Amino acid sequence: MIKQVLILLAVFYLLALLQTSFFVDFRIWGVVPNFILISALLINVFEKPQKNTGMLAGFIGGFFLDIFSSNPIGFYALILLALSFLIKIIFRKYVWLPAS
Amino acid sequence: MRFFFKKGKILVLIVGIIIVLSLNFFQKEVKGFFYVFSAPIQITFGAAGDKVSGFFEAIGNLSELKTANDELQKVIQEMLAEKASFAELKKENETLREALQVGLQKDFQLAFVTVVGKDIGQESILINRGAGDGLLVGMPVVTQQKILVGRIGEVLENFSRVVLISNKESAFDAKVSGTETTGVARGQGNSKIEFDLVPQDKVLKVDDLVVSSSLGGIYPEGLLAGLVKKVSRNDVSPFYQSEIAPLFDIQDSNAVFVILNFNND
Repeated sequence: MIKQVLILLAVFYLLALLQTSFFVDFRIWGVVPNFILISALLINVFEKPQKNTGMLAGFIGGFFLDIFSSNPIGFYALILLALSFLIKIIFRKYVWLPAS
Repeated sequence: MRFFFKKGKILVLIVGIIIVLSLNFFQKEVKGFFYVFSAPIQITFGAAGDKVSGFFEAIGNLSELKTANDELQKVIQEMLAEKASFAELKKENETLREALQVGLQKDFQLAFVTVVGKDIGQESILINRGAGDGLLVGMPVVTQQKILVGRIGEVLENFSRVVLISNKESAFDAKVSGTETTGVARGQGNSKIEFDLVPQDKVLKVDDLVVSSSLGGIYPEGLLAGLVKKVSRNDVSPFYQSEIAPLFDIQDSNAVFVILNFNND
């Protein structure tokens, strides 16, 4: 669990740095994709529905988005946590995946 | 919730949320702490992004480059013809500048700052100077070409956040350069600025240069804001509906100036 948290912290910190410096120069139709949001959502979608890493990823990713934006700390963290939670509910209750 | 987590995990989650939210009591210190060791990395990444995007842009525009090159050749020829007359005007201008002392550095006391981070979504940039360097909320930020960037919205000890003129929170009095056509430039987000409250009895055209006005006391007079991009009339409203394309480009900005001695109280 601690190892997981440390990896997510490192990955999302790096992504937040890239999001506010490197990726700014790569606009797609005038918009810079939010790679933290995309990564957090992808983790939630592709991990096993029983696991909670995606929610942790959403929370940590949101925290770093808050740090590098003018929002109060916790704004994006709670939004991404809630989004992750929603995805979990949908996947656990309404999506049946074939057993591998 | 009991389908999802064990009690222990719920507790950890709640404690985590409380800790993160309580960081807001020390928001400036926490953000400042992260910015201090992130700034050098962000500057390096930013410079790399500039180079890489420039490379890909050049490849993607190869076919357009030839057309642009032909057009530029024509422009160069026209400009060469104009150059002779400009040389004379330049001499005259320099003499007048010296006489009137209207250079940027003569007009204002400036602080040179480096752009550390850019937040495109919120139309703001992070600069590497803060309260410790004498920066205050509301100070105008410009480029070396006297192009208006925005104003300082938040000051930390060693860093400040600049709210760009295209930010939705930004609104200032502006006018068309060299005329009495005045209005209010309101940020619309996504690098767009609305030029509002321009009466229809005034003349407003596409490509008119819009500069800041000292009327509202937010910015000094004459800073370049942008070019009028769209103008339309509406019979219902007494004002034009117009849009300005800002001259400042968030992507190409790596260093800007803060005007220290402008009193906007």
